[in-house]
Amino acid sequence: MMSTDVHIVIVVILLLNIVVGLVRILRGPESADRMLAAEMFATSAVAIILILAVTTSSPALMDVALVFALLSALAVVTFVSRAWSALNPPQPPKHDGEEDGP
Amino acid sequence: MAPLASHAYDLLLAGALLWLAWQATHAADLFRSVISFIVFGLLMALAWIRLDAPDIALAEAAIGAGVTGALLLSALGRLTSAPAEKPAATRRWPGTIAVLALAATVLALLGAAAWQLPAPGLGDAVAGHMPRAGVDNPVTGVLLNFRAFDTLLEIGVLLLAVVAIWSLGPTPEPLVPAIPSPALPALGRMLWPMFVLATFYLLWRGTHAPGGAFQAGAVLGAGGILVILAGARPWLTGEDNGPWRWLLSLGVVTMLLAALSTTLIGQRFFEYPESAAAGVILVLEITAAISIAMLLFAAYLNGQPPARWRGYPHS
Repeated sequence: MMSTDVHIVIVVILLLNIVVGLVRILRGPESADRMLAAEMFATSAVAIILILAVTTSSPALMDVALVFALLSALAVVTFVSRAWSALNPPQPPKHDGEEDGP
Repeated sequence: MAPLASHAYDLLLAGALLWLAWQATHAADLFRSVISFIVFGLLMALAWIRLDAPDIALAEAAIGAGVTGALLLSALGRLTSAPAEKPAATRRWPGTIAVLALAATVLALLGAAAWQLPAPGLGDAVAGHMPRAGVDNPVTGVLLNFRAFDTLLEIGVLLLAVVAIWSLGPTPEPLVPAIPSPALPALGRMLWPMFVLATFYLLWRGTHAPGGAFQAGAVLGAGGILVILAGARPWLTGEDNGPWRWLLSLGVVTMLLAALSTTLIGQRFFEYPESAAAGVILVLEITAAISIAMLLFAAYLNGQPPARWRGYPHS
């Protein structure tokens, strides 16, 4: 029982961590700060879900954690890709019909 | 959970959700709204877990953390060229009061409706019929056997949404940077097999535990977006789009075929013969997952991949 209590306290602290981190979403100051905060939340959520999976002994929750861990990369990749495009603006396409690639 | 700690957990979760919902709709900066919405989805999944609904948590994780964030962020990237117009910050009290009154009325009506719901719900009816469903997971049984017609309509809605996006015409700007950021190709090569593995795993889990076609399709669709961002150029190109249209409509077509063939062999619409139910559900799950993955991928590509990856490398 003791270890379960410790688990619950850890879960609450992790959630509190997310709530305190929301300040970064509000303040920023840069987009990258907000994006990093969102990633930190995803990591904390994975930890919360894994602990809940153990304490409530429901292995189905592990799948939720797996999906989160896998997919949270996608938002960052989109963000990085967008920032990268801003740094390397695409060359305006030629208007002579058939171009044969770079 | 211990009562005090679980109350603290619920209060923190509910408070953060309300604050994020407010931020997502009312933040002055659009990027802040998008990030708030992504985090809202994350915490919503935690709320579904707390409400003992791991199936919905899984769907929320697959859609909210994956495709939604990518769609919103890329849409935001195309918006930046337009001048940001700030709405005049004039307070109109009569309007605010009317909206608040309307919101309170809807809340009261919803509360009254929820209060009058029959106490045990339909859980016992579903549990009673599970031996005839062909699968062990009650959620999959409801989605693809007892209420398969609803699922047909849901996939139809997704197809309609993609058709609507497609009808808006090709995107004026390239979908992906001509030269992907140097870190991305390696990441894409490393993660793509994981996405495929997770897709098959979720599909297989769906017969006896939370999981299934929708979650599997959402993971695969997100994986597709990841690899094109990382510089891969899918083979689904060419002037006639190859099998693109068929893949998009595969889920709806297969479900309609299953429904119609049940009437041909003398059963009622969508009433599978008991001995064949497991096989029919398996086929429907696989085709629905492929179709959902392609539909979500198509939503990101504005309907279809470019006829040629014009101006892109490795085309």
